[in-house]
Formats: sequence, structure tokens, C-alpha cells
Amino acid sequence: MRLPWRLSFGKPRSLGAQLAMLVAVALLAAQAINFVLLLRASEQQRFYQTTGPPIAQLIEAMRMDALGLMAGDQRRPMLGRTFETTQSPVTSGMSRRRDVESRARALLSEAGLTVPRLIAAEVPAQEMRVQLDPLSSRRRTDILAREVLLISVELQPGRWLSAIAVIPSPDYGVVAWLLFQTLVLYGVVLVPVLWIGGRMGRPLGELRAAANSFRSTAPAVPVAERGPEDIRGLIGAFNAMRTRIAGMLDEKDRMLGAIGHDLRTPLASLRVRAEFVDDETERDRMARTIDDMNRTLDDILSLARLGRPSEAPSRVDLPALIETVLADFIDLGADVAFEPGPRIVASVRANLVARAVRNMVENAVKYGGSARVRVRTDLDQLVVEVDDDGPGIPNHQIAHMFEPFTRLDSSRNREKGGVGLGLALANAIARLHDGEMTLRNREGGGLRASMRLPREAEPVPTGPERVLT
Amino acid sequence: MDDKPHLLLIDDEKSIREPLAAYLSRNGFRVSQAADAEQGRARLQGLAIDLVILDIMMPGEDGLSLCRHIRETSDVPVVLLTAMAEETDRIVGLEMGADDYVVKPFSPRELIARIKVILRRARGGGTRQRGAASEAYAFSGWVLKTDERVLIDGDNVAVPLSTGEFNLMTAFVTHPRQVLSRDQLLDLTQGREANAFDRAIDNSISRLRRKIEPDAKNPTLIKTVWGGGYVLASDVTRL
Repeated sequence: MRLPWRLSFGKPRSLGAQLAMLVAVALLAAQAINFVLLLRASEQQRFYQTTGPPIAQLIEAMRMDALGLMAGDQRRPMLGRTFETTQSPVTSGMSRRRDVESRARALLSEAGLTVPRLIAAEVPAQEMRVQLDPLSSRRRTDILAREVLLISVELQPGRWLSAIAVIPSPDYGVVAWLLFQTLVLYGVVLVPVLWIGGRMGRPLGELRAAANSFRSTAPAVPVAERGPEDIRGLIGAFNAMRTRIAGMLDEKDRMLGAIGHDLRTPLASLRVRAEFVDDETERDRMARTIDDMNRTLDDILSLARLGRPSEAPSRVDLPALIETVLADFIDLGADVAFEPGPRIVASVRANLVARAVRNMVENAVKYGGSARVRVRTDLDQLVVEVDDDGPGIPNHQIAHMFEPFTRLDSSRNREKGGVGLGLALANAIARLHDGEMTLRNREGGGLRASMRLPREAEPVPTGPERVLT
Repeated sequence: MDDKPHLLLIDDEKSIREPLAAYLSRNGFRVSQAADAEQGRARLQGLAIDLVILDIMMPGEDGLSLCRHIRETSDVPVVLLTAMAEETDRIVGLEMGADDYVVKPFSPRELIARIKVILRRARGGGTRQRGAASEAYAFSGWVLKTDERVLIDGDNVAVPLSTGEFNLMTAFVTHPRQVLSRDQLLDLTQGREANAFDRAIDNSISRLRRKIEPDAKNPTLIKTVWGGGYVLASDVTRL
């Protein structure tokens, strides 16, 4: 079973992984929005915190100035943390801060003060060294490496009052906090999601395995109903459906068995009566027709009963088995040859495999005029190959050849009789052994039918019941 | 009284029984009929029957059960008629003591050929194949199982045999270390193939050798005897 948290490169495929992926992406998006908002709020706060004190100092200085508290000491350059100059200390090289200017104006007008001109700018702390001196000597070197905010107001022409404030360094703590928060969220949300994904995925996996391994051969153990309510319901419905299908297959087998018996009896009767026909040619033709009908009936019944074979697999000398099948053809004078090879032991249902080989050879002889048969090993497979020298099969029709009742649609072939069950049955037998059949036009003409069987074929064991037909 | 062999045909299916009885009568047999097992038993007691042709699938007591009964009470040979082509059914039939079986729909000629072989064996006495049903012969690491018609090797791997090969093998294991000429082999194996030829014997021998000889070119088990014939160069144990 696939673990729900198994991550593969590319798209996650399991239910749990997809759910977790979805939640993770949604969480990431939410956290990103959160991050932006938080960052902006923190930026805003920093702006207020930085601009508030120097503006307040300016206001205080301006009030004192208005009250004339500074009148007697006009040369004094500094008042508190403000200082006075004759010209604005802001030069054109400095970067203006319009946002600070507008906030300063707002606060000044709130305080009932108006100034003709107000300029704010960011200045490297180095240039303001003198003015910064009394500020914070403790972290001077630290401060000098940074920018300071400089706000100047013109009190009267020729009198500028300025305040400076150190711009605090950006707060990376916010980022760290957010990362931590994200990780905690992932833990809190993803673990339950993976758990619930697994809880749904495991019973679904069992259901899939049960559906895959469904065979009509043996009554299967019902899949355990577990997981969430709707999945339990699904499993229950599956179990019920499987029971119904098994019942229908049983019914079909019984019916076909009855049909087989009921058709064989009149065929047997006809076969006996045919002997009373005096015309020898006519008698032989009748006998052949009856034999054809009987073989078709056999094929139909075998195909129908293949789901529950009565034969147990056993270890068989495969080339010997094939040679035994070919002996019947050779005795009838067919152009059939076996290319002997080393002994190969296969664990198969011998009668069914013999039947598949017989059908392959019969097909080759009927449509290709001859059959050359060999068996070989190919990696972990056993391959039975039947070559003929016939016209082959158009490539686009090859896939249809394994469907029951398929024959090449040409009148020439129709004359040869049969209803096209032979290859379908051979293919079904190969599949029963976990193998497969293929048809291929050989280079240089002729068809090659190959039946591949696993080297250690372990067909599904069956009960001891025999199906009577 | 004529010396025609007297056959008892037991089949519930009138459409088969009557034409078959007529056909057999036309071909030199005296035929009595029975439509079920009960009638069959009655006829068997009242008449001197040489051979029973018995349908397996009959309402009431089936053919297998009647076959077992016949085998317990008399030596009369039994040929089973079956609608089941599967190998297991044949084995069950032979285990019940039947001498042979034919699968419906069968060729009446083949049926007659088999009947003749069985009757000839029964008259000759001794070599009847009945009872050979579930026998096994061991030789040189091989076991020939007569009910399944397979050779089993030391590793328990089955080597399937065709009817001809099986008959040959049976002839060899019942006559170990005896030189058997082609004619003798034909006599011993005839029955299935109505017209087997010398060539067919040779073909079957070479197929058999490919299946059981370690080196088919230099056979050590089934040896060719100069001057015509083959011999199984091994001791045989009946299991």
C-alpha cells in the first residue's frame, strides 16, 4: 500500500498526499498574506516611532521660541535635541522624505503651529556627527554607520530649526516570528490532514486491491469495512456487488454446463445417425461438420469455465507437453514441426496449456498452412512460439484477434469454418497463468503467435469442486 | 445360436441408444438395450453379456455407480460414454474399473474398433487392460502412471505422453528387457489408431526417446535392436 505521506517528485498521487499538498499550499498563501500585512503594520509602527519624538521636540522648541524663552540666547545652537541654523541643513543631495514632511505638517497644525517651509530628509549619520554627539554616546559607532532622519522647519527667514532622529534598523524579529508561526501551523494542520488522509486512503487501497484481485474462482473474504462513514458505505457496496457478480458467474457456469450437455446429446445422436448415410463423401462431410460443431461447443464451454478450472497446476515438462499436442496434428498429416530444445519445466495446468497450444497450432495450420513450434526461455518467462507461412494479419486487426468470435473478415477465411474462439481461449488460458499471448507478422512473411508464461507460474489455487457439464 | 458378441447398451437417451443399437447390429453385434441403471442390472443378470456400453450421465443411479457395481460382481468389460471431455472425468471412469471410454459425440466406427480390441483381449485372457487403470510402473528413475497417462521423473515433473507413446510405454514396461518387434509392438498398442504403420511406431519411439532419454541420439533406455525391434533396457517394478 502506498503511504499517504510518500512524496514523489512531480504530482502527489495518493489521496493523503494530495490533501496535504492542498492544505500546505493554502496555508502558505494565507501565511504570505499575513506576512505582508504584518510587515506593513510593523513598518507603519516604525514610521510613527521614528518620526514622533523629533517632531514633538520641534513643537516644544517652537513653543518655547514663541514664548521668547530662547530670546536671550539666540546664538545657542541647540535646544534640547533641536538645533538652529541660518540655513536649512537639508541639502539637495539628501533624499527627501515627503511622508515624514506631511506627518510633521499634520502634527504641527494640530499643535496650532504654522511654518512657511518644512523639509525632511534621510541623511547618513556621519554628516550629522556634531549634532548627534549628545544623543547617545553609548552606541555612537553603531549609530554612525546608519542613516538619520533630519526634519527642518523655517521659523523666520534665516532661522531654521531642525531635529534629528536615528532611524532604527529594520526589525527582522517579525520575519523569524512569522517563520516560527508557519512551522507551528504546518505541524498543527498537516499532521491531522495526513492522518485523516491515511485513514481514508488505507481502506480505499484495500478496496482497490480487492477489486484488482477479483476472480470468480474462489469466494473472497469481504473487505473489512473501516474508515469514514462514506468509505465504509462504499466498501459495503463493493462487497455486495462482488457477491452478486460471483452469483451471476455461478449461474452462467451452471447454465453453460446444462447447454453443453443438452447440445452434446443431439450432436452425438446425429453423429451416430450419420453412419447410416450411404454416400460415403456425404457421410464424411456430415461427420466433419458435427466434429466442428462439437469443437466450437468445447471452446465455448472451456472459455466459460476458465474462471474456475478443475485442474490443479503441476510441474510439467513443457516441450514434452507441446510435442504430445503436435503428435495429433502430425498423425493427421498436417505440416507441423517441433524444434526440439532443452528440457523446460513449467508449473502449469497441463491440460489447459495443451489446449492453448493446440489452438495456436490449429490456427497456424488452418490459416497459414503449416506450423513450426518451439519453446524457449526469455528472462523470467517461458515462450511458446508458433510460426506459420501464411499471409499474416493486417497490423490494425491484430488487437482484435483475441476477442471471441473474431475472424478476419474475408470470405476466403470464412470458408475455413470455426467461429474464432481458438485464440481468445488460448489468450484466456495464458492470462489464467499470469501470462499473455501476442501475434506478430514476421519479417519476410508469415505470422508468429507467442504465448508467454511466467517461468514459475503460480495460478490461483482452486477448490476441489468439479464442474460437471 | 450365433456367435455374435452380445453387447448391452445402457443409455437413457433414446435418440442415441436406438440408432447406435441399430448401427452396432448392422456391424455384427447382438445388441440389448436398457434405458436406465435398473434395467441394465436386470439385463445383466438375465443375459450372457460380452460387453457393456454405459452412459455416465443418467437420471437415477448414474453410470459410474453402475460401472462400479458391474466391476464388483463380474468380469464383463465396460466402455463408458461420457459427455465430459475433461481429463479428470476420464480418470474417474477408469478408476471405476471401466475398460475404455468414448466422449460424445463419438465416431461409431471408433467405438466399434475399441469394442473389438477389448473383446479380443478379453477372449485372449490375461492381457486385459482393465485394472491397469490405477497402476504405476517404476523404471530407471521414472514412474509411468497409467491412470493419468504421464511419466513422472525423479523431481516429480510430469512428462505428458500422447496416446501412441503411452501405449508403447505400457508395452515396454509390461515386457521389460524383452526385444519387441514392430509387429509385436503394433499388436500390443493397437486399439486407438485403427491403422498404425511401422513408420508410426518408429515416430512414436523417437518422440518417446526425446522425452525420456538423456541423449536421444544415443538411447540408453529404449534401445534399437539390430534386425528389427526395440527393447526397454531397464528393470521395472510394479508399484
